[in-house]
Amino acid sequence: MNPSIFIILLTTLILGTMMVITSSHWLLAWIGFEMNMMAFIPIMMKNPSPRATEASTKYLLTQATASALLMMAVIINLMYSGQWTITKLFNPTASTLMTVALAIKLGLAPFHFWVPEVTQGIPLTTGLILLTWQKLAPLSILYQISPSINLYLMLTMSLLSILVGGWGGLNQTQLRKIMAYSSIAHMGWMTTILPYNPTLTLLNLLIYITMTFTMFMLFIQNSTTTTLSLSQTWNKTPIITTLTMLTLLSMGGLPPLSGFMPKWMIIQELTKNDILIMPTFMAITALLNLYFYMRLTYSTALTLFPSTNNMKMKWQFSPTKRAPLLPTAIVISTMLLPLTPMLSILL
Amino acid sequence: MTLIHMNVLMAFSMSLVGLLMYRSHLMSALLCLEGMMLSLFVLAALTILNSHFTLANMMPIILLVFAAYVAAIGLALLVMVSNTYGTDYVQSLNLLQC
Repeated sequence: MNPSIFIILLTTLILGTMMVITSSHWLLAWIGFEMNMMAFIPIMMKNPSPRATEASTKYLLTQATASALLMMAVIINLMYSGQWTITKLFNPTASTLMTVALAIKLGLAPFHFWVPEVTQGIPLTTGLILLTWQKLAPLSILYQISPSINLYLMLTMSLLSILVGGWGGLNQTQLRKIMAYSSIAHMGWMTTILPYNPTLTLLNLLIYITMTFTMFMLFIQNSTTTTLSLSQTWNKTPIITTLTMLTLLSMGGLPPLSGFMPKWMIIQELTKNDILIMPTFMAITALLNLYFYMRLTYSTALTLFPSTNNMKMKWQFSPTKRAPLLPTAIVISTMLLPLTPMLSILL
Repeated sequence: MTLIHMNVLMAFSMSLVGLLMYRSHLMSALLCLEGMMLSLFVLAALTILNSHFTLANMMPIILLVFAAYVAAIGLALLVMVSNTYGTDYVQSLNLLQC
């Protein structure tokens, strides 16, 4: 793609999300969502292929539906309150519609069906933007309307997401689909704590973005998209194998890695509200996620995957592919747990 | 809620159901999307005129601009699908399923 056009698209993408995050008028927020979606679709079609076209079409249809539902919620809010300020919503119908619209944009169950297919059809770098940057705008709106969200709707969607994210990822060997189901499950964790303590949603988002960024950078470094090719990395760059293992275990939420921090804080916050069954259920369902991360770890770092003999004797060239910020991201996504008391800066 | 509000909300709901349950053509999904945007335009104009909220008179027009934006990209993607498969049947969009 022409570099100047690509710069314009990236700028529009960033500008759209910034408009959603910083605006106080519902129309500007909606415009930001539209700009975001429209700039992202040509980025998805960077290398045209039937798969990319199909992914872009599915992305467009779901996101445009969500935008229309969002606008309907905004207009119903206008009918009942007479103002456009982004505060809590003044009508339960508007609140339900907006929650559903933002759930479609985020990929929460039962609106999650587009996430694995769209993530699979696009290149790795674009998939990274889809699973990290595109989550910022809807979560910022959810954060701002969190006092008026219907509790049972939100909890149902988030618990269903954690289940779907766990079970859906079990049968996958394509790494992009695994990351998509991982994203669905993490969104479920984030929106569970939203009605109770939205600060922890932001903490979980931050740690999730760092870990997903690390995973995608590791995949981009090795140009792998399947479990099979990931299992050959021991021959190319052995240190990456160990770091992949650590990052995957961090995504599964194991202490003493930093992926444990959001899960711990969320469970603690829920028990402070005298809810005991739900965090137990969530923690047990997170084991499903851990299973497929462990399977990736096993085939990558712990065993020699079956391969032909000439795959075992590759010449180790010095890497020419740039993986920006990879060491920083790995350190942040595995060693941040002792800094937990610092999360008060998110308040 | 007056009768006309009910009417426009029904138009929105019908378009939404049409978007969710289209049979074979991608084009009908895009048409229903435009129907939803149109009903939002009418509802917004109705609410704003009814409450004499003159400051927000521009809002339905801006909404229409972005609806046209969405429709243009939708049509571009429809053309790309049609270039690959010859038609816009949605059954042919099955490359990425598990």
